[in-house]
Amino acid sequence: MSATLERPAPAVAPRRTAPAKDSRKLIRGQVRAGWLLLSPALLHSGIFIVIPVVAAIVLSFTDYSFGDSWSWVGFGNYVDLFKDQDFRAALVNTILYAAVVIPVSMAVSLAVATGLNQKIKAIGFFRTAFYLPTVTATVAVATIWLWIYNPGSGLANGFLSLFGFAPGRWLSDPNTALPSLMLVGIWQGLGTKIIIYLAALQGVSRDLLESASLDGANRWQKFVNVTWPALGPVQFFVLVTSIVGTFQVFDLVYVMTKGGPGTETTVLVLDIYQNAFQALRLGFASAETVIMMLLIAIFIGLGRLLQKADVND
Amino acid sequence: MTSATVTGPIVGSKGAGLRPGRILLYVVLGIGALLMITPFLWMVLTAFKSDLEIAKFSWLPGELRWHNFVEAMRTAPFLRYFRNSLFIAVGETAFTLAVCTTAGYALAKLPIKGSKALLSYFILLLLVPFQIILVPLFLIVKSIPLFGGNNILGQGGIGWLNSWWGLIIPLGAAPLFTFLARQFYVSVPNELAQAARVDGLGEFGIFWRIMTPLVKPALITICVFQIEAAWNGFLWPLMITTTDAMRPLQLGLAIFAQNPAEVQWPYLMAGTALATLPMIVMFVFAQKRFVEGMANVGIKG
Repeated sequence: MSATLERPAPAVAPRRTAPAKDSRKLIRGQVRAGWLLLSPALLHSGIFIVIPVVAAIVLSFTDYSFGDSWSWVGFGNYVDLFKDQDFRAALVNTILYAAVVIPVSMAVSLAVATGLNQKIKAIGFFRTAFYLPTVTATVAVATIWLWIYNPGSGLANGFLSLFGFAPGRWLSDPNTALPSLMLVGIWQGLGTKIIIYLAALQGVSRDLLESASLDGANRWQKFVNVTWPALGPVQFFVLVTSIVGTFQVFDLVYVMTKGGPGTETTVLVLDIYQNAFQALRLGFASAETVIMMLLIAIFIGLGRLLQKADVND
Repeated sequence: MTSATVTGPIVGSKGAGLRPGRILLYVVLGIGALLMITPFLWMVLTAFKSDLEIAKFSWLPGELRWHNFVEAMRTAPFLRYFRNSLFIAVGETAFTLAVCTTAGYALAKLPIKGSKALLSYFILLLLVPFQIILVPLFLIVKSIPLFGGNNILGQGGIGWLNSWWGLIIPLGAAPLFTFLARQFYVSVPNELAQAARVDGLGEFGIFWRIMTPLVKPALITICVFQIEAAWNGFLWPLMITTTDAMRPLQLGLAIFAQNPAEVQWPYLMAGTALATLPMIVMFVFAQKRFVEGMANVGIKG
């Protein structure tokens, strides 16, 4: 995607080399067919994506609830938001979650992908093992980990007791609740990133690597000087998808903690969900989604700056 | 980084020889793989345990209690959830294929004015997270005219809420798949289409009979991704379903896990195992597709 964002591949128009006699008629027919074939997708995306995006922004300036009467409140929702304890907690938790999960999972995935990129036997097995958590529904993952973190007879405490550690309370302890969720988030997100990195690593120019070897570069030098620069666009793609993914974290939290204890693990989407569908404050919840949009945009912007700085080094 | 080439051995690398570094690599990767798989093993082991065995920590079940799976079915309508998920996955995939292949083909191969701008439009939409449009989408689906007791203005009823329409249509045909389909069609040469045109085949015939069969393998990638997304969806069904009859599997699991104090873990793990199995099987069979899909989205601009 990143590559696409920078320079969209030129749309390939068919060479207009049909026999001249009725070529214009042919082209007209093609254009008509094109619009007909496109119309379902345009209609669908208009109704279910474009209108909702605009509506979310408009709603955020109203006090709309499921009733019929509503009024404009200007930036009132936004002012209330930043006074709102739950929202502030959700904001901090989401940013913390993203700030830990993204770099850790990117680093681990790249390391694993580099390992798998050597001529490794049983590559299929490793690929499957690392990708399993990704194909598994987050809800299923959450129920499994709920049971792993079970303070009484879960795997986590059972495993720690082997080494004589005291059992933890994991999800019900304010100090460990969010880190426990982060661990699951990291564990679940590795698969996709590994596959993307692996594909990218296989595309790194062999000639460059060979000539670096001939110049006497060791593995680390080759990685830093040849592989890392070649991964630039892919790194950015992985970063963007990770940002969007971590900001959307919901299923995990909903099933495992419901945002508790207190608001220790409340995240943005959970707070939006609760405001919209439990407190029925749709205008207020919409203002939250707008903030979330801005945050994602800011994070992506920061990522671009990082990438640019990396290139210019 | 040892690229063991057949010709001209590079100093100090013997390809796949078992040097200490190589052994260490296998050990590290092996431990990593084990960490990834252990939770699943734990799930399967738990599914076979008795209540007594899970009262305190134990590694292995004393006997394989297959009966737990039967009991799980009895405790919650897992079979119905399973059927619902299947229905949603199949419906959404069919819908996506219909809408996205046509649009992707038109973007790739037909001389539409502004097709570049349209492509950018779909790429931009692909970046809109579902969570952002959550609230308005709910309102739109609730006020689909003439459905669920609504009048022509979309008021007075529940529209598509708690219906197959609502579960399938809004999340189907994601822009990502339109974009992917376009990438596939772009790589098909134009000469075939031109030849068919000279033979007098119509534009829709060319799309359907000439071009689409050529990208069939790639379309399977779209199917695999869409099935996975539909099967694993949670938030949307959570918002719009109100009765057990319409609930998909993931929602059923979440409800079953509602209060950890009272959960019957062996049953929940049995249900979870049933929920994860189809996707795992699909991945094992369609590994190549997953990898291709990833590479297509991520690498090829």
